[in-house]
Amino acid sequence: METFYDVLRRQGITRRSFVKFCSLTATSLGLGSAFAPRIAHALETKPRTPVLWLHGLECTCCSESFIRSAHPLAKDVVLSMLSLDYDDTLMAAAGHQAHAILEEITAKHKGEYILAVEGNPPLAEDGMFCISGGKPFIDKLKWVAKDAKAVIAWGSCASWGCVQAAKPNPTQATPIHKVITDKPIVKVPGCPPIAEVMTAVVTYMLTFDRIPELDRQGRPKMFYGQRIHDKCYRRPHFDAGQFVEAWDDEGARKGYCLYKVGCKGPTSYSPCSTMRWNEGVSFPIASGHGCIGCSEDGFWDKGSFYDRVTQINAFGVEGNADRIGGAVAAVTGTAIAAHAGLTALKRARLDHGTGFDRNGEETGQRRDPQGGRRPAETAAVDQNTGRGA
Amino acid sequence: MLQYNELSADPNAQTLKSIYVYEAPVRLWHWVQAVAMVVLVATGFLISYPPPSVGGEASDSFLFGYIRFAHFTAGYVLAIVTVLRIYWAFVGNDYAKQLFVVPLWSRQYWREMWHEIRWYSFAADKPLKYGGHNPLAQFFMCFVLMVTTFFMIATGFALYGEGTGEGSWANVAFGWVIPLLGDSQAVHTWHHLGTWVVITFTMIHLYAAIREDITSRQSIMSTMVSGYRTFKD
Amino acid sequence: MSAYETQGFRLDDSGKRVVVDPVTRIEGHLRVEVNLDGQNVIRNAVSTGTMWRGLEVILKGRDPRDAWAFTERICGVCTGTHALTSVRAVEDALGIDIPENANSIRNIMQLTLQVHDHLVHFYHLHALDWVDVVSALKADPKATSEFAQSISPWAMSSPGYFRDIQNRLKKFVASGQLGPFMNGYWGNPAYRLPPDANLMAVAHYLQALDFQKEIVKIHTIYGGKNPHPNWLVGGMPCAINVHDTGAGGAINMERLNLVSSIIDQTIEFIDQVYVPDLIAIASFYKDWLHGGGISSQSVLSYGDIPERANDFSAKNLLMPRGAIVGGDLSKIHEVDLRDPEQIQESVDHSWYQYPDGVKALHPWEGVTQAKFELGPKSKGTRTNIEQIDEGAKYSWIKAPRWRGHAVEVGPLARYVIGYAQGNPEFKEPTEKLLRTLDVPVPALFSTLGRTAARGLECSWAAHKLRYFQDKLLANIKAGDQSTANTAKWEPSSWPKVAKGVGFTEAPRGALGHWIVIKDGRIDNYQAVVPTTWNGSPRDSKGQIGAFEAALMNTPVAVADQPLEILRTLHSFDPCLACSTH
Ligand code: HEM
Ligand code: HEM
Ligand code: NFV
Ligand code: SF4
Ligand code: SF4
Ligand code: F3S
Ligand SMILES: [Mg+2]
Repeated sequence: METFYDVLRRQGITRRSFVKFCSLTATSLGLGSAFAPRIAHALETKPRTPVLWLHGLECTCCSESFIRSAHPLAKDVVLSMLSLDYDDTLMAAAGHQAHAILEEITAKHKGEYILAVEGNPPLAEDGMFCISGGKPFIDKLKWVAKDAKAVIAWGSCASWGCVQAAKPNPTQATPIHKVITDKPIVKVPGCPPIAEVMTAVVTYMLTFDRIPELDRQGRPKMFYGQRIHDKCYRRPHFDAGQFVEAWDDEGARKGYCLYKVGCKGPTSYSPCSTMRWNEGVSFPIASGHGCIGCSEDGFWDKGSFYDRVTQINAFGVEGNADRIGGAVAAVTGTAIAAHAGLTALKRARLDHGTGFDRNGEETGQRRDPQGGRRPAETAAVDQNTGRGA
Repeated sequence: MLQYNELSADPNAQTLKSIYVYEAPVRLWHWVQAVAMVVLVATGFLISYPPPSVGGEASDSFLFGYIRFAHFTAGYVLAIVTVLRIYWAFVGNDYAKQLFVVPLWSRQYWREMWHEIRWYSFAADKPLKYGGHNPLAQFFMCFVLMVTTFFMIATGFALYGEGTGEGSWANVAFGWVIPLLGDSQAVHTWHHLGTWVVITFTMIHLYAAIREDITSRQSIMSTMVSGYRTFKD
Repeated sequence: MSAYETQGFRLDDSGKRVVVDPVTRIEGHLRVEVNLDGQNVIRNAVSTGTMWRGLEVILKGRDPRDAWAFTERICGVCTGTHALTSVRAVEDALGIDIPENANSIRNIMQLTLQVHDHLVHFYHLHALDWVDVVSALKADPKATSEFAQSISPWAMSSPGYFRDIQNRLKKFVASGQLGPFMNGYWGNPAYRLPPDANLMAVAHYLQALDFQKEIVKIHTIYGGKNPHPNWLVGGMPCAINVHDTGAGGAINMERLNLVSSIIDQTIEFIDQVYVPDLIAIASFYKDWLHGGGISSQSVLSYGDIPERANDFSAKNLLMPRGAIVGGDLSKIHEVDLRDPEQIQESVDHSWYQYPDGVKALHPWEGVTQAKFELGPKSKGTRTNIEQIDEGAKYSWIKAPRWRGHAVEVGPLARYVIGYAQGNPEFKEPTEKLLRTLDVPVPALFSTLGRTAARGLECSWAAHKLRYFQDKLLANIKAGDQSTANTAKWEPSSWPKVAKGVGFTEAPRGALGHWIVIKDGRIDNYQAVVPTTWNGSPRDSKGQIGAFEAALMNTPVAVADQPLEILRTLHSFDPCLACSTH
């Protein structure tokens, strides 16, 4: 069986540079050089783990991103590191020959294969908004998930629902963790995720034979533990108070911070600002557009991508925090003014009717037929208990 | 256990001319938190809508950094005085407990609440006299202001913990708030909405304080300075 | 259903029904059913789009300036083209002009997509329909090298190189884990390449996989990432700064140089690898001329790549614009996307519902309301379809028509129209290719012709990249650095109601987005997409779409191996996420 080591050796790479590769890999995974020998051993000896890559409702950008991987090359991942036995987008077989592969691998490699899911299942219309082999995709997903060792949720579709799940989510597209509940799921969000993040997550799982440590939302900490903003190279402009105020203004040309034109870097967890995209060439912010938060849950339904103060959809109300809060405050202000006016009116009337002035002093002009007793006593004191009524 | 009768339209208020209500720590806390909140609202809005860009080298300026720093400092101050205030609820006088314990179970509380509502809607001519808060005020203080304060602290430190990172105390203590509310952007939105609750509360609070001071025959404004509630009749 | 005639095809569903589901090596979910006669020739074809996400529904009520990001997610394969179409629709509605630089950059983005998408399609989605991977094991690396060197000056053509690839392949096959090549149709008699050509093609399959990731870096530079780069209503978000302080944060000299060098490499790869491979492979299949479908009758192109900014008239578009119907190449019809009579969609056979009495709608009036139901003649159950009833509703794809005609769109349509117009940029390479292969003009109207047009177009687009990059530089040199027009950025500057249409030539063909804006929000949004045209189900008159037509009358060598079906479908580069959106 060909292993990754074989590949490298055959391509004229020496043992020495192979070891070097392993320690580089270890470093880039944030593991330290002590892990290098383990990586080397894993790459030298392991048979390839079958990966079944299913597609639900999606746009295939995750597959497209995956094949952009530069280290490792997508070619090497597919030919030497794992066995991509099923993937609608790349596989030679179709129709029942394709289906037969799923039957074979799920039976032969029960509990050993990794299920990778791109896209998500729609639940409305009995699942028939996404049909595969004449049946709802959800059936296929559940069936293949049943005996998988672990599940990878590629992209924001599988992780959160993504664009098809944006309001009103006409197909009831549902992230996979809501339908696969008995398996560890590694979410690799992003629309799409960065290529090398995808291949690193897979190689991590193959190398260490375990899933990476996940954060509270099920994402690998090593890549999703920090926000774009935490390591954005425009951060000094943010702190200085230097912002792009309008597109193509002087600040835009000087690379100022994109916060005022809606950058969601402060709220988005993804390694875009560090690993960057397409072999580190750039990332959204470096090319002048704010982050739209494509790695975040429900980023489609937060209102405009160009606003910092975004939409809120709660209690059946839609509007941004300032519109809702401002309206409440304005109503309150008006109510206070009206109440103050009424209070003044009432007091003016009281002055004439009660025989007490504003400060409760006797005015000597009492017109109260009950006579003598102060209004406070009338109102407040129960005759029997002496307490407030 | 707090006795409702001791605190509400209380007999003391019927007989005494003045009561010591707000002990010094409460007064100190009140003014510190009031200042902190004003700073938080002001800097909070500046965080949402930063001032016009400054020129020059990025390293020459730290304007937005300072605005945020002021916010975080005021945030810490608010959180610390809030914790101290909770402590004082245990050791202070009975009035110090009113912010946190509302006798919702007491029929009398609700009867007096009804009266207070009538008073505010001009259906009653005079309010009852209280050493501490009237039922309506107490309700708002606890369920609107204190809850919002806790909410702002929780969401504020959740956001703060994003910057200080995994393993920082803020992230450990409040990081869970983020998935609870959805995601980071949602936390910003709710934190921002909470700001409006604070503003609205303060408007009502100030209006009610001034109005009561004038109409209710008891000292209100000066009480938060001297601690004494005095009755004018 | 009995047999009937339409568009010159005789549809007969009496023979053996063969189902291919899923159709793979495409984007999204597609099902195809055909009826084979006694000679295994396809006599009836039914193509069903088997997914729908509801983007048109989701877009309602949103900010038009955000629409590009939503529509871009219609597809990650033709990433960017929907976004461009969307910003054009919004700009059209609101009367926004974009700066010259933005036009050049947008053209570069769009051409980059064309080149990338065509390349990946040819090698990674389509090649295995022509190339037998297993046969490559039997090749002689030396002979392969000689063959490769005889068709191209491409440097990586040594015997050693091909031996390495072959060894790697041998080990791979010997491992017993065939990965994506598992259960392929290896050894099928419809494969015609000799082992040496197969080995060369496999080698280039891998090289192209490595190289494609370089091309998209152009998107990364101007748009921040790929897939799904960023766009902007009013221009492009990538500010230009080539002279001043802070240039590191914008498009500067280094960025421009990087784009330039990628363009050079791209032209080299396309012209020295893709095009020669295409010709070499075609020369073994030049008598397999099935799959023309309706390409010889009705084709449509909106045109694209405006030379100057903001002028979308045919003469300013470098990609040809026009429609041909009824096979009359001498008459090229004007295309007007605003004309309610020209482009209409119907849903008689689609899983949607129109208001009572409505048969067909122009997209500005378009309605998208799902209605899933199977016809009485379908077999199986609602959630386990064994056979589709094409007499009833049977696809998530709507049926667009141009003046009532089903049309084919895509590279072949563009080349046919360009050829018919006598546009030398399209006519000359086509004639040269026909001469090289020694086939007559009608050979174009075939599966192979479709695949060849895509290759020619890829080369055209690569060279146009250089043209617009130079143009951009020249304009910057002339003192213009602007990339965005923000005069109408704020919704307060918009009219209460506005209607717009944006179009592009996406890799797979003519793409249009129609938008209606009311009170600053999207009131209606309708996309009619290349694969909506090509993958269209039947209409009320029983007219079939391009996929179904192309499958007609094709002989299948091995009845239960759908190799020829895949070959012809793949020649369209189907994108189902696009088609249904
Ligand atoms: C009365 C209490 C508070 C008010 C009115 C307030 C107000 C605000 C407002 C309006 C924002 C801008 C939100 C947005 O639109 O993105 C904000 C942000 C923030 N607040 Fe508060 N806040 C309060 C308490 C706190 C506390 C206790 C903390 C804890 C340290 C805190 C930490 C933060 C942080 C970290 C941010 C985000 C800053 C950034 O992203 O640069 N806040 N606050
Ligand atoms: C953000 C600003 C403020 C907040 C959050 C706030 C909050 C509070 C709270 C929680 C109490 C109840 C104290 C207790 O029961 O222990 C209180 C009482 C009081 N506050 Fe404020 N306060 C604010 C600003 C002010 C200002 C500006 C004034 C006056 C100018 C004021 C005057 C008073 C007075 C007079 C009382 C005592 C009411 C009474 O006698 O029952 N407050 N405030
Ligand atoms: N059909 C289609 Fe697309 C293209 N090309 C879009 O407009 O592929 Ni995804
Ligand atoms: S996550 Fe985004 S990019 Fe990936 S398939 Fe879904 S829509 Fe496409
Ligand atoms: S550009 Fe965005 S991520 Fe970068 S510093 Fe500004 S707000 Fe943060
Ligand atoms: S938009 Fe997405 S690609 Fe990164 S910078 Fe933001 S998470
Ligand atoms: Mg449509």
